[in-house]
Amino acid sequence: MNNFIGIVGTNSDNSTNRMLLQFIQKHFADKANIQLCEIKDLPAFNKPEDRKAPDKVQQLSDKITEADGVIISTPEYNHSVPAALKSTLEWLSYTNQPLIDKPVMITGASYGRLGSSRSQTHLRQMLDAPELKARIMPSSEFLLGFSLQAFDEEGNLKHQNKIEELEQIFDDFVQFVDITNQLVKTNHSPKKQTKSFSWEDN
Amino acid sequence: MKIVGIVGSNADFSYNRLLLKFIAKHFNQIVDVEVLDIQDIPLFNQSNDQTNSEPIQRLNRKIMGADGVIIATPEYNHTIPSALQSVLEWLSFKIHPLDGKPIMIVGASYDVQGSSRSQLHLRQVLDAPGVNAVVMPGNEFLLGEVHRAFDENDNLKDKETIQFLETCLKKFIRFINVVNVMDSPEGMKDLSSTEDLHATGKIETTIEDIDMLADDWVEQASDKTKAVEGDTYVKLDRGVLTVNQLNYFLKSMPAELTFADSNNQFLYYNYKYEDEDMLAARRPEQVGNPLANCHPERAFSSVAWVIQQLRNGKEDVVRTHVPTHGPDKFVVHSYQAVRDEDGNYVGINEYVKDIKPIIDWYLEQTGQQLTGGEVDAVSGATSKVDTVSGATVKDN
Ligand SMILES: Cc1cc2nc3c(=O)[nH]c(=O)nc-3n(C[C@H](O)[C@H](O)[C@H](O)COP(=O)(O)O)c2cc1C
Ligand SMILES: Cc1cc2nc3c(=O)[nH]c(=O)nc-3n(C[C@H](O)[C@H](O)[C@H](O)COP(=O)(O)O)c2cc1C
Repeated sequence: MNNFIGIVGTNSDNSTNRMLLQFIQKHFADKANIQLCEIKDLPAFNKPEDRKAPDKVQQLSDKITEADGVIISTPEYNHSVPAALKSTLEWLSYTNQPLIDKPVMITGASYGRLGSSRSQTHLRQMLDAPELKARIMPSSEFLLGFSLQAFDEEGNLKHQNKIEELEQIFDDFVQFVDITNQLVKTNHSPKKQTKSFSWEDN
Repeated sequence: MKIVGIVGSNADFSYNRLLLKFIAKHFNQIVDVEVLDIQDIPLFNQSNDQTNSEPIQRLNRKIMGADGVIIATPEYNHTIPSALQSVLEWLSFKIHPLDGKPIMIVGASYDVQGSSRSQLHLRQVLDAPGVNAVVMPGNEFLLGEVHRAFDENDNLKDKETIQFLETCLKKFIRFINVVNVMDSPEGMKDLSSTEDLHATGKIETTIEDIDMLADDWVEQASDKTKAVEGDTYVKLDRGVLTVNQLNYFLKSMPAELTFADSNNQFLYYNYKYEDEDMLAARRPEQVGNPLANCHPERAFSSVAWVIQQLRNGKEDVVRTHVPTHGPDKFVVHSYQAVRDEDGNYVGINEYVKDIKPIIDWYLEQTGQQLTGGEVDAVSGATSKVDTVSGATVKDN
């Protein structure tokens, strides 16, 4: 069984994105081991000279490196990705770059009808940047709109059609992870090259 | 005009900070730019509201007190840095100082793309309902390969880049004026009621009973008054010309001339070029219109202000320069009071001219040079007038 981690894309105490990941973790327990990771306690990125990852960043980074795949669930703040998640990705890109070639699935929940569509688009563009270079699962989008009303008391998604949509995407992701990791394994050297990318020496 | 420049980076060394500092220094004759850092603003956290902390309140006050804001954004992973994102989250959570605020975006980054992607993201963020800023369209100022852009004195090396930056900045000043007139905030008095821009009154020379908005107002009015034309002679002070000669003479004037009478009715222009070829567009069918119909409503206050200066004898001429034609034209609009023998105001002569050819000729003849940089073209008393010009054809 694959080992995934789910990154909660917010530092807020209450988060429907956290609920969504908790549901995914529970609902797909027979398909993958999913560990949830918080970004709450990470320091704010400030481009330190020494390019050294603070402990908490290092811990997250290690988990990503060990995982077969990563699920990121992003809120939408002002039509974009929240600062807390941007900061996390800045740390990762600036230090160990663990997301390079890592299979990633994006989900998102928002209070309004659009379900974080705009921030998911931004997140895709970000993960495509040369220092992140994740393998984002293409042609898939899981948008959870009206997220405050989407869960029942047990934290399960209320609407069956949303659950089915999620199951479909999750199955795709499990396959996508296997294929991508095989591909990446057989192509070791390009990975080394991209690893060394830095804007400063460019 | 007071502008704050927000450094979109919290790094100890930031090219975007250098860029804003350069703008503040190099263009200090044009505008007053105060550069603000965001290093002491904490990372946004919905569960830990720090809106009332001093750094956020300080930023809030500075923005509220400014006429406009310039944001200089780096590009981190194809988007704006978390530090800037965080500031905008604070400024859209419990307080909304950017609501309705004119904003200009600039950006510097390592890539040749020069922060183009993050600037697009920033536009989208500023457009979100909680922020609701008014971002100047177009005029993308992208400084790519920024590590090669500054000299050892932190000045931009490339002359053309500086020139373009100046064009953007001047447009921004005009943009702020337009936004201000549009919003007409409490602080700024709407002067439009001081002039009868709809020409509802009448003076001795007003040609009555003809629809001022008619496309053929000129034909109707000349029929009604049996106006002379062609080879008929008219006596002038001092000379005698045929109407044709008078026409040729006026068209040969090295400027676009427009006359509106003291009733604020547009009566004449030296129709030599079609509107698209004019510096300040006029169309034949507009002649006869009240001035209100020649300007967008947001400019009424400024138009009225100009006419008041002339009518009340405060000024004989009010000038404004219009940089929107690009760096290759020095376009000046002059609003000249027209008065009778006794000094009574009888109307306005607006003459519009690109003075660059004359300046170039003069410099060449005398061997002198324009030094640039020191020339203050936009600021000061004419800021109210800026919105008048360029708006003389009303498209709706
Ligand atoms: C500063 C701020 C900006 C927000 N902007 C948006 C927005 O642009 N679009 C949106 O759908 N919700 C917005 N929200 C509301 C919710 O936070 C958002 O829908 C979020 O995705 C909910 O996810 P969460 O439950 O995991 O926090 C905003 C909230 C804050 C505090
Ligand atoms: C985490 C991180 C991500 C970056 N991503 C990009 C990028 O996507 N595009 C780019 O042109 N430069 C990128 N850069 C390089 C910046 O352009 C460079 O650091 C620049 O100096 C930032 O502006 P500043 O000096 O004002 O902070 C990145 C830098 C960092 C630290």
